[in-house]
Amino acid sequence: MDAIEKGRIRMRPRWHFVLLSALALVGVLIVFLTLLYVSSLAVFFLRDSGVWFAPSFGMRGWWTLVRGLPWLLILLLILFVLFLQLLVRRYAFVYQKPLLASVLGILFVIFAGGFAIAQTPMHRFLALSARHGDLPPPLGFWYGDTFRAPPPPELYRGVIIAMNQHQLILVDPAAGTTTVILTPRTRLPYGSDFSVGTSVVVVGDPIATGTIQAFGIREMDE
Amino acid sequence: MTSETDEAIILRVQGGESEAFGDLVERYQEKLLRYARKFLLDPDDAKDIVQDVFIKAYQNIQSFDASRRFSPWVYRIAHNEFVNALKKRKASRTVFAFDIDTLFPHLQAPDTADSATLDRDLRKTLGAHLEKLGPKYREPVVLYYLEEMDYKEISDILQIPVSTVGVRLARARGMLRKIGEASKEV
Repeated sequence: MDAIEKGRIRMRPRWHFVLLSALALVGVLIVFLTLLYVSSLAVFFLRDSGVWFAPSFGMRGWWTLVRGLPWLLILLLILFVLFLQLLVRRYAFVYQKPLLASVLGILFVIFAGGFAIAQTPMHRFLALSARHGDLPPPLGFWYGDTFRAPPPPELYRGVIIAMNQHQLILVDPAAGTTTVILTPRTRLPYGSDFSVGTSVVVVGDPIATGTIQAFGIREMDE
Repeated sequence: MTSETDEAIILRVQGGESEAFGDLVERYQEKLLRYARKFLLDPDDAKDIVQDVFIKAYQNIQSFDASRRFSPWVYRIAHNEFVNALKKRKASRTVFAFDIDTLFPHLQAPDTADSATLDRDLRKTLGAHLEKLGPKYREPVVLYYLEEMDYKEISDILQIPVSTVGVRLARARGMLRKIGEASKEV
């Protein structure tokens, strides 16, 4: 008390704590927005590659999904979620709940937000700009091949340019032309009505160069 | 000592009346010394560490929101200082590493008449067996039985879920009972 009364120990000014709180808030906001961006990018990559639609083909489709997940982005998401948890754990609304509940809460908000953002044309526009070299390196880097998972070999996507009862011909800017053979065992969604110009995703097995036998086909919502 | 609330005193300190901080020191010194002695199990260190707690509290008093209660705030500072002191001791390097108990939600059994009786018995033997508990369990026991805080206050001081406070206390009671029974047999 003597040291306090004689002024040898001083209290830190209020602005010091206001500044610290503001910096912490900005940090939380930056990490949160980064998480939203990364999760929406992951959803965009999944939809863009067609892997997103694979689970509708049953167990084989789920396996295709697992193989086509952008694992590097998922690793980044996990690291940022842990970092966010570290930043917010001193707040009562976080520490009063079990860690699992707060991490699951963060994940839910991030994925719901990421899914909503992925519905907007933002990523498609930025990916196109990156492909044309119109984006500066830090932003363009996100849309290169680094974070995209290589497409699973059994997954094909493209736009139907010709079709009959037994086969479809797809064209994709990256993979070129693919002939898709339909068999009675090919899984088609109920009420499917494909026509020329429809974007589809196909899971199947190659039977010759540029020709696959379809295990399942479904329309891609774009 | 005046009947002025802690929070009213803090408003005065925050307003520049440094000497009013002495009233808070007077109110909390004995409580924090008891907490330190029982938790750290080292009466020699306790006085110095508690002094550091008051210095930290004074330095950071402008960050205190006077619409909240002072007691959990100053106990939180004390907890941090005590944990740092334990970490400095070689034998306790791993104290308070990640705790799996904070990961999952836990169900708490409601208190019963039996548990109230057990609590009374435990209180009697607490002083003799406290040092046999690890710091993770000793601290909630000290805060609950000796400082007479509720689960919510302990949760705020340790910054862990309320359910985890319940789990640690339940386990500590079990350990203390076993220790008590073993010492009776000897």
